[in-house]
Amino acid sequence: MEVDFALIGHPESWRAAADVLAVLRGPQHTPLPDDEIKDILPWIPPRAVCHVDAGSVTGAKARGLYIDSFIPPDRLESGYVHENIARVREAAAWAIRAGAKIVSLGGFSSILIEGNFDHLPARHDTVFTTGNTLTVGFIVQGIKKMCALEGLDISRSTLLIVGATGDVGSGCARCLAPMLSRVLLSARNVERLRRLAAELHADGVEVEIATDLRQFSAEADVVICAASLASPSLRLGRIASHAVVCDAGYPKNLSPRTEMPGASVFFGGLGQVTGGLRFVPDFRGILNRHPFPDVVHGCLLEGMALALEQRFEPFSQGRGSITPERVEEIETIAARHGIHLAPLYNADGPVEDGRHCRTEWSRG
Amino acid sequence: MTGELLAAMNYTSLSEICDEPAEVADALEHAEAERGHAAAFAAEGRKLGVDVANNVEARHWKRLREAFMRCITERDFMGCLIVQEIMLESFAVASYARVGKVAPGSLGRTFAAIAAEEEEHIAHATAILRTERGSDAPGFDEKVYRLHLDVMTTLARMLAKDCRDGHCDVCDATCVKPSLFEVSLSAAELRGASLRQYLKTLDMLGIPGEVTLAWVAQLPV
Ligand SMILES: NC(=O)c1ccc[n+]([C@@H]2O[C@H](COP(=O)([O-])OP(=O)(O)OC[C@H]3O[C@@H](n4cnc5c(N)ncnc54)[C@H](OP(=O)(O)O)[C@@H]3O)[C@@H](O)[C@H]2O)c1
Repeated sequence: MEVDFALIGHPESWRAAADVLAVLRGPQHTPLPDDEIKDILPWIPPRAVCHVDAGSVTGAKARGLYIDSFIPPDRLESGYVHENIARVREAAAWAIRAGAKIVSLGGFSSILIEGNFDHLPARHDTVFTTGNTLTVGFIVQGIKKMCALEGLDISRSTLLIVGATGDVGSGCARCLAPMLSRVLLSARNVERLRRLAAELHADGVEVEIATDLRQFSAEADVVICAASLASPSLRLGRIASHAVVCDAGYPKNLSPRTEMPGASVFFGGLGQVTGGLRFVPDFRGILNRHPFPDVVHGCLLEGMALALEQRFEPFSQGRGSITPERVEEIETIAARHGIHLAPLYNADGPVEDGRHCRTEWSRG
Repeated sequence: MTGELLAAMNYTSLSEICDEPAEVADALEHAEAERGHAAAFAAEGRKLGVDVANNVEARHWKRLREAFMRCITERDFMGCLIVQEIMLESFAVASYARVGKVAPGSLGRTFAAIAAEEEEHIAHATAILRTERGSDAPGFDEKVYRLHLDVMTTLARMLAKDCRDGHCDVCDATCVKPSLFEVSLSAAELRGASLRQYLKTLDMLGIPGEVTLAWVAQLPV
């Protein structure tokens, strides 16, 4: 059966991979031991895992597939790049063969396949979107909401973006910089940092760049972590004690061992489907492991929203071209179909009641 | 080598239920080729001073032969192809190809050449089976699943990282699994490569990937 959209993802952690395999094995079989999962996962070729039915509050419906590239969580590093590109290509080929009209490239999939669209089956009508524009929209909405919850005046804040020159990071910079007093940009490549700084500076924003987080002259009170890290390994170091911190990584950026006493941390870039979301077989809460129902990564939701809108176009493509206007456009489309910012949460649970906001972030 | 002899026995049995003379000839030709593979393995063993074990009576091999013979009893030609070409050959192609990569000299070349030949058999059978699936996909998929439960469960036990139920007789005297690292292989790798090949072969038949993934995920480890 042909589908409207396909979502390409990969397991965010070994726990996530184990849960997917446990559902596939079914309740009649004992779950696989961890060592077996680590041995087996690398051999699973990319393939569809389940069907996804998305509903809109307008009554529109779209049929989709979730395709897993099964990149093992410990193989996201650059040493495996060729193997991983091949996996994402194979996943993309599945989407094309299934007749998907639009494909969302979740997490590392977009980073890997951008510029590597060759060697795919004849494309027919399939288009690809990175989903990063809606991701940026949800990150920015989350920052605004969290600042409001914490009583932080965003216009007087200093914003730090880690992974600032990336597609997501630069999009967030363009959306938020004009509202803040100062912006700190960090990544490893200094030339790209200079280019982004010049662009923001031309718009009248005070910008500082550094490849080493310890070099900034000021403490940040709003932080976005959007670096393409293979595992949660980022330690922020010096930030304001009352800082609002958004971890938008997929996998997460922040090391569970980093200590940020007093900071309000939340996982960003997530949206919630209110018009109905169904996985067949039932992978609810397994493929989307969040403490609220029907929450999905923004990158995947972009394809779903565009499918519900019947707008089969490569909405987000390339790197570093996300503008506030495009973010507003996709947010409007998503909202029309009842796809909104997800309730905020972090590793300790929901944050909006204020109880879990202030985290020591020192588990693990 | 036992796998090759088993395949030769299976093709000979298959020739007995074929209706068309061309099919009979084809099956007997396959049987001969498999016997040739077994002889090639035995010759490589002699070069190394090793007597290559042949034990079609070993617990797992016996079960696999019995599963095949049930299809013969039912005169189920397609079932025979599924067991031999899709299930047993997936295992053979993947594991021979891996051994072919690590084994030195003529031994490596023999494994690689036999893997390539077996892959051709798979391609030929896949074309026939795809056509068969075209006429009744649900019925075909159900049959593959039934055979999968029987045959792949046995193969999965054979391919398990350790033989938990005691010596299975597949190896001659002692189990080779713990020593595979000495030739840069591992039981986990051979199992992984075999199941991957199996999934890809099932993909070629057109069975939905999400369905076959669940089948494989449910196999014993
Ligand atoms: N929450 C969601 O729904 C969602 C959606 C899409 C993407 N994401 C995630 O967001 C992250 C960024 O995605 P993207 O598409 O923007 O990737 P991208 O375009 O490749 O950008 C990655 C950024 O991270 C920087 N970076 C990489 N390694 C770094 C390191 N070790 N230290 C500091 N900076 C580093 C890169 O610059 P340098 O190379 O110069 O360091 C670049 O600025 C990824 O984790 C992705 O999976 C999440």
